[in-house]
Amino acid sequence: MSCIGASHLSKSYGSVRAVDDISLSVRPGQVFGFLGPNGAGKSTTIKMLTTLIPPSKGTLNILGIDAVADPLRVRHRIGVVLQQPSYEPTLSVEKSFDKYGMMWNVPKTERKKRTEQLISDFDLKHIRKKRNEDLSIGQRRRVQVAREFMHDMDLLFLDEPTVGLDPGARRKLLDYLKKKVETGLTIFYTTHILSEAEYLCDEIAIIDNGRIVTVDTPNALKNRFGNKKTIRIRLKEKRPDMQDMLSGISDCKIDFEGGTSITIHSEKSELVLLQVLKTLSNNSVEIEDLSAVPTNLEEIFLKVVREDAPDN
Amino acid sequence: MHPIIRLVNRNITISLNPGFLIWQIIFPLIYIFVAGFAYAPLINSVPLGARDLDYPAYLASGMIGFNIMNSTLVSGIIIWNDRRHGMFEQIMSGPFTRSHYILSNICTIGVIGLASATLIALVGYPVFFESVEFSLVTVPIIIFGAITGSILFGSLASIISTRLRSSEGFNVIINTVFLFFAFVSTAFYPAEGAPEPLRTAFYLNPLTYLVDVIRAGIFGGITEFVILEMLVLAGLAATLFVIASKLLTRLDF
Ligand SMILES: Nc1ncnc2c1ncn2[C@@H]1O[C@H](COP(=O)(O)OP(=O)(O)O)[C@@H](O)[C@H]1O
Ligand SMILES: [Mg+2]
Repeated sequence: MSCIGASHLSKSYGSVRAVDDISLSVRPGQVFGFLGPNGAGKSTTIKMLTTLIPPSKGTLNILGIDAVADPLRVRHRIGVVLQQPSYEPTLSVEKSFDKYGMMWNVPKTERKKRTEQLISDFDLKHIRKKRNEDLSIGQRRRVQVAREFMHDMDLLFLDEPTVGLDPGARRKLLDYLKKKVETGLTIFYTTHILSEAEYLCDEIAIIDNGRIVTVDTPNALKNRFGNKKTIRIRLKEKRPDMQDMLSGISDCKIDFEGGTSITIHSEKSELVLLQVLKTLSNNSVEIEDLSAVPTNLEEIFLKVVREDAPDN
Repeated sequence: MHPIIRLVNRNITISLNPGFLIWQIIFPLIYIFVAGFAYAPLINSVPLGARDLDYPAYLASGMIGFNIMNSTLVSGIIIWNDRRHGMFEQIMSGPFTRSHYILSNICTIGVIGLASATLIALVGYPVFFESVEFSLVTVPIIIFGAITGSILFGSLASIISTRLRSSEGFNVIINTVFLFFAFVSTAFYPAEGAPEPLRTAFYLNPLTYLVDVIRAGIFGGITEFVILEMLVLAGLAATLFVIASKLLTRLDF
């Protein structure tokens, strides 16, 4: 059974098609990444999945419940961190955690325990007595994400949770989420930052202009779109005969730089590299240094989104 | 615990801050004791039905209605702040429905309105006890006033807060509307003494009806007119409540 089963979801605002015929399926225990540029339709999708807005079209099943017919039952079992900040301005951080737990019907002793745990897990000790309205944007974001863990849930939605966080806090949050996934939580995670999706997600959907362009694992995406690798080899000494030596190798483009260094661009980099290394060794060429420059998801992402653009 | 009770608990927690308590307690006390006694030498007595009241007693009883109205501003402010600070969406994605949210707001203003009326009645009691005519209906009438008044003004504040987007607009409109209600009413002075256009204006104002009803409960004199006023109050409260609920139901994210 899938945790999220969405089929042909659409949402229009007047003539704007914010989300246009999206179908997706998220398995239990998975981190599902929803990746796309600003205005792609990520937040609109998350608002439909979290029952905040009804879809204009399509069917939606969350945790085995028909989310359009029975939104309240879904709400009991999900956690939601929207893109927009949410906080009780006049309450202190710890008090707002306690009240949030109370709203979720968490017993008082359990609330106390969780508040302490979250304050320590999210490094909030120095601001625990501060009022929420006096926090910086980044602190507020951390508090908002932490607060969601005051209650139990089977499925957590996070809409660009790391915006406003510094790199250290960002990494900490991602690691915290990974730990939670190990205990069985399923996460739906939107971001416009690729390195995050790559680090955290088991599967990534790339969305653009309200449509899902592609869905795959981070590695498969790299293989499908980004197996073109660049490999640099530096030699110990100058070998003017190198060009002749390597001329028989196909499926690649080799640049020779002054006889001491070569750069290989290839779609089958692993195979090509093996051949190159064999040839060099047969001719007793000594290698000083070898480095591979992997394609990152950033390039894939730009490529996919660009190819999808209507004016292309 | 029922979801509505949990939301009321939360609403009361976020509303009870020092600013609100000053607004709720200090402000009416200043009116009753400073204005009431400062004006007393100038205003010997105020006619109420067939009898005359001294001004401090008249004013203190008026302050009960005034305070009910003031306290229900809270409901508008809660909705306004919830939208501005993302808590409306947060709550609606949690284990609650819109009806829970709306009903919890009504209960919150009911509780705060009733507490406020009780507080002013207790504090004002020494001022008007000489004129009080206790009867079986005194307490029920004050409760009726507190509840219909809370719903009426609470719904109105909610309507304003769902219609506006900017903070400046919200503050200006809420303050203007409530200033008009406060001073173009019989809370501070009787309609009988006022010149004509003002006198009619008094009766275009629901606070006048609320204050009249509460005075009738405290000092006796439930006439046919007062019963009519009660009906107007109840009808208006029901209508505004339906409109506010509709608007809240349609509020999008
Ligand atoms: N409430 C709304 N009313 C009108 N248009 C909206 C509304 N919400 C979103 N949109 C439009 O829908 C599109 C997708 O927005 P959104 O889902 O917020 O994208 P993302 O989260 O990926 O940045 C945008 O063009 C946006 O302007
Ligand atoms: Mg967004």
